[in-house]
Parts: sequence; C-alpha cells; structure tokens
Amino acid sequence: MDFGELFDALPSPHMVLDRELCYVAVNRAYEQVVMRSRDEMIGRHLFDLFPNDGESGRRLRASLDRVFATGETDTLAYIPYDIPRPPELGGGMEQRYWTAVHTPVSGSGGSERYVMQNTVDVTDIVRLRQAASLPFRRGETQLLERAREAEEQHRALLTESAEFRRLFQMAPGFFAVLSGPDHVFTFANDACTRLVGGRQLIGKSVREAFPEAEDQGILDLLDQVYQTGARYQTEERSVMIRDLDSGELQETFLDFSYDAIRDGDGNITGIFVQGSDRSEDVRRQHRQRLLLAELNHRVKNTLASVQSIVSQTLRSTPDPAAAKRDIGARLAALSKAHDLLSAQEWTSADLGEIIGQEVAVFDPERISLDGPRCTLSPRSSISLAMLVHELSTNAVKYGALSSETGTVAIDWREQPDGTLKLSWRESGGPPAVQPERKGFGTRLIESIVSGEFGGSYEPSFSDQGFSCIVTVETAVLRGADSGT
Amino acid sequence: MNADMTRKSMSVLVVEDESLIAMNLEMILEDLGHSVIGPVMTLRNLEKLLDGDFHADAAILDVNIAGEPIFPYARRLADLGVPLIFASGYGASGIRDDLAHYPVVPKPYTELDIARMLDRIFPA
Repeated sequence: MDFGELFDALPSPHMVLDRELCYVAVNRAYEQVVMRSRDEMIGRHLFDLFPNDGESGRRLRASLDRVFATGETDTLAYIPYDIPRPPELGGGMEQRYWTAVHTPVSGSGGSERYVMQNTVDVTDIVRLRQAASLPFRRGETQLLERAREAEEQHRALLTESAEFRRLFQMAPGFFAVLSGPDHVFTFANDACTRLVGGRQLIGKSVREAFPEAEDQGILDLLDQVYQTGARYQTEERSVMIRDLDSGELQETFLDFSYDAIRDGDGNITGIFVQGSDRSEDVRRQHRQRLLLAELNHRVKNTLASVQSIVSQTLRSTPDPAAAKRDIGARLAALSKAHDLLSAQEWTSADLGEIIGQEVAVFDPERISLDGPRCTLSPRSSISLAMLVHELSTNAVKYGALSSETGTVAIDWREQPDGTLKLSWRESGGPPAVQPERKGFGTRLIESIVSGEFGGSYEPSFSDQGFSCIVTVETAVLRGADSGT
Repeated sequence: MNADMTRKSMSVLVVEDESLIAMNLEMILEDLGHSVIGPVMTLRNLEKLLDGDFHADAAILDVNIAGEPIFPYARRLADLGVPLIFASGYGASGIRDDLAHYPVVPKPYTELDIARMLDRIFPA
C-alpha cells in the first residue's frame, strides 16, 4: 500500500512541518482549503506563507513548540486565522476559523523531527454557531476550548450557557446581537421581539426586519458604530415602530446603546444592542408637565382674582376695618369653592352644595334650600359661589339677616326651555330700598350673570325685603357651551 | 403716572371671561383715563362685536375664554389693524407662533404693567 497516496487522498486537510516549521508534505484537501498549490508550499516557512502577528499567530506557534518539546499531541480547538487570498481570486485577506490537531512524528533518531497538522476549516460552523450563540463571542471561544479538555465540563458549561441564554431571553431590557456590516440579527431576546410587535428577527438584517428604521437614522448610527467602534448611547430617543396589525407608526421612547463586538484580533464583527422601553415613563412625565402648566395657570388666575378682590374692596369700602373684614370673607368664599372642586378633582360641583356651603354659617332655621341636583363646571362653581356670597353679605348688612328674625328662601328649578331659574327671597327683615349707587357686590353679581353666563339678573326691592331671580342656560353652567 | 394724565384717551377692548379679573382691568383702564369696550366675556359676544361696526385703539385679550383659545379672534382683530396685548396666566409661552410678536402681560398684573404696555404700543 502506498502511504503517500493514502495521505494525499485523505478527505481531511493534512500537512507536515519540520522543526524549522517549513513544509515537508501537504495533501490535496489542504491545498484546496488554503488555496495554494504544493509547489508553492513545500520547503517554505509556515509563517512566511501565512503570516499572523496577532494572538492567533502566537497561539499557533506555541502549539507547535509544545509538540516538539513534549512529544505529545496538541490541539487548537478553535483559532481565528485569516489567510491571504491569491491574486487570481481577488487578493486580500480572508477571514477563517479553524480547528487544528498537531501530532508529533518521530524521526529515526527518536526525537521529534516532524509535526503533522490535521486542520479543519470551521468558518461556516462558527458563523452558524454565532447565529444561535450567546451574545458574547469570547465566552464561546472559551467554551469550545474547554470542551476539548473535558467532555463533562463541556456539558456543564453547555447547561450553564443555556441558563445564561434563558436569562438574557427573559430579561426585561431588550438585547440583540447584530452580526456583520449588514447588521444581521443573530440574537434577540423576548423583550426585543415584543418591542417590534413580535416580528421575526433572527437571520434578517435590520433593514429587512425593521425597514422603518432607515428614515430615522438608525442604520446610519449602526454603520457608524460598525465602522468606528465608538459606542453610541441615547436616552428617551423617539423611535417610530410600525404596528403590524394597524400598519400605523407608533411613537416609542427608548434608552439604548450600541457597542461594537470585536474578535480576538480586535476586528469589529458585530454590534451588541441593549436598551429599555421608556415610553410609559416619558408619557407620564409629559402628563405631569401638562398638569403643572395647568396648575400654574390656575394659580396665576386665582392670584389675579385675589388681587381684584383686594383692590376693588379697598376702593369701595373706605373704612379699613370693614374693608379688611370684607376682603377676608370674599377670599374665604373663593377658598371654600376651591375645596368643593378639589373634592371632585376639579371636574365639577353640585349647585346645592355650592349654595349650602356658602350659607352654612347662618342659623339653619332661617335659611331654606330647595332644588334638584345640578352639575356645575369648575368655572361656574366659583362664579356662583362668589354670587351667593355677595347676596348673603348684602342680606347680613342690609337685608333679612340683619334682623333677629328675617329668613331667606333659596330655590332653583330647571325650566322646560333649558334654563335654570334660581330665586332668592328675603322676608321678615327691614323693607328693602334700591341703593343709589351700585356697590362692588352688585356689579360682581351683574357681571357674573350677564357677562359670564349670558343670563338675566332681576333684583326687586319691596317692603317684604330684597329678592332676585337669576336665569341662566343650564348648558352654560355645565360648561357644555361657552356662553351667550 | 402724571405723564399718563396728559395722554390722549383711548378706547380699549377688554376680553376676559372671569368677572373679578375683568372688573379689575376695567377699573385700571378707567383710572388711566381710557374708556373700556366690554369687558367681553364670551366668544359669542366677541363675534357679535366684530361682526358689527367696530373700532378700538387697542385690545387686551385673555388667551383662554371658557376653555377656547382666543387666537382666531385675535387674528381677526390684528387684520383690522388693532394693536393687541395678550394677558395670560401661561406667560409668553402660550401664544401661537404667528401672534408671538405681540406683547404679553402675565397675570396677575398691576396698573403699572398695563400702563407700560400701552406706552409701548403708543409711545408718547
């Protein structure tokens, strides 16, 4: 049997080096895999033909040295080692991954004269494994190397890696590994898949899987990270994601970062994506800002009302003690109306409650209230509270409540024509006389009823006492209409 | 304030939906020697006024009338050549872009604030 022919025919690539690391023999499979003919290789130095100044070059030399030093087989389970592409195939370097077993071959003198290398190009397998691997290449390298040393440990590690993989898969933040210059998804956890509405990601490029990213500058960002290796990080960036059911773009706010993934030689091979969906937080902050702006507006308006109460009361009430009392009472009326509205979260208040609260300081025997529930908008609530306050103030100063026995009957009814008729009738007090000059209170009442509500205010002064009828559209009071 | 007494009296349109604030502004303007058109407290009444034979030397506008923005009416007034002043609890940030060059007096305001605003529009 011709062992030379047998060696040449072995389907797996083999070559033999002498102690100087020069080629002594190569088989056909080896010629094919390294893209060189035997004539080019025999007698030449391994590292002249396949130079590598990086970590892989050092590892290969160390393995060969070990074989010559110890006389024992040495294995490189996994070694990235780029080889030159012949000029006729385009030149340049080609990225390859290998597994190599180095076996000593004894010469006649008993010392190790040669080393035989059986190598397998595992580039395709590595690429496949990357597609299903953890997001960390280095971990996988180590995993493969240890596997060679102990099958048991290998199994343990596999279990561990499955555990890690599961953790990544279920993590609340989103994780993805993009591979190559086209950013092909080789890993995407559940949160990542959920973020994009459950679409299929693995094996697809970002452009294919997430076409709406292009117009948003996402692909440019990825290209930049892939080319420069510089980390990209952003917070609360608005990203539009198409909802697959409705076809509509929906705005999300994301914190995320892109980190370059490098191989053992420092070359960028992909991008590690991690981030979290902040949409809920951002929307909550937005609502809060709106609420704060609205609150600020309301406070400023209330301060303007207070300012008006103070300056107008001072103007119409020359006696400082009386002015002080009147200002205090008007601010209290404003404040009590605010309390009622706060209790309803500023949505509405009931007319009966607004009136009842304002007359609560008086003897209940002398005040009667009668009317159905009637919903008021916040604005109407405050205006009606001020109106009732001014009517009661006048009653205390000049009307039924200025005597020991006078009474006030307040009732309100909804009319068939969509208006509300509120009547205020005093009796048992001194006769009412129309004042010569309208005071602040009366002007405020008229402004509220006619100006704000577009309604009518009809006062009447008689021997029985003061009374008035206020007629206003109920829609205006509810705030359903902006007034007449 | 004495300088103001010599100024000519203007007719100033007041649009404000809250009685207390409207009455205060009315008093301020009268104290400054001006006459008040309004106060107009609803958009419906403002519309009626604008549809009629209408003249004002200036207008002081609350930006929000019963929950509705004043801006469409503000534009009509601007088209009529009426100088505008916005009065707003939101400050200057609440004014629409195309009207943002008009002055804003933040609420609450004083008589001096209003006098200064009118001086800016009609320098002595």
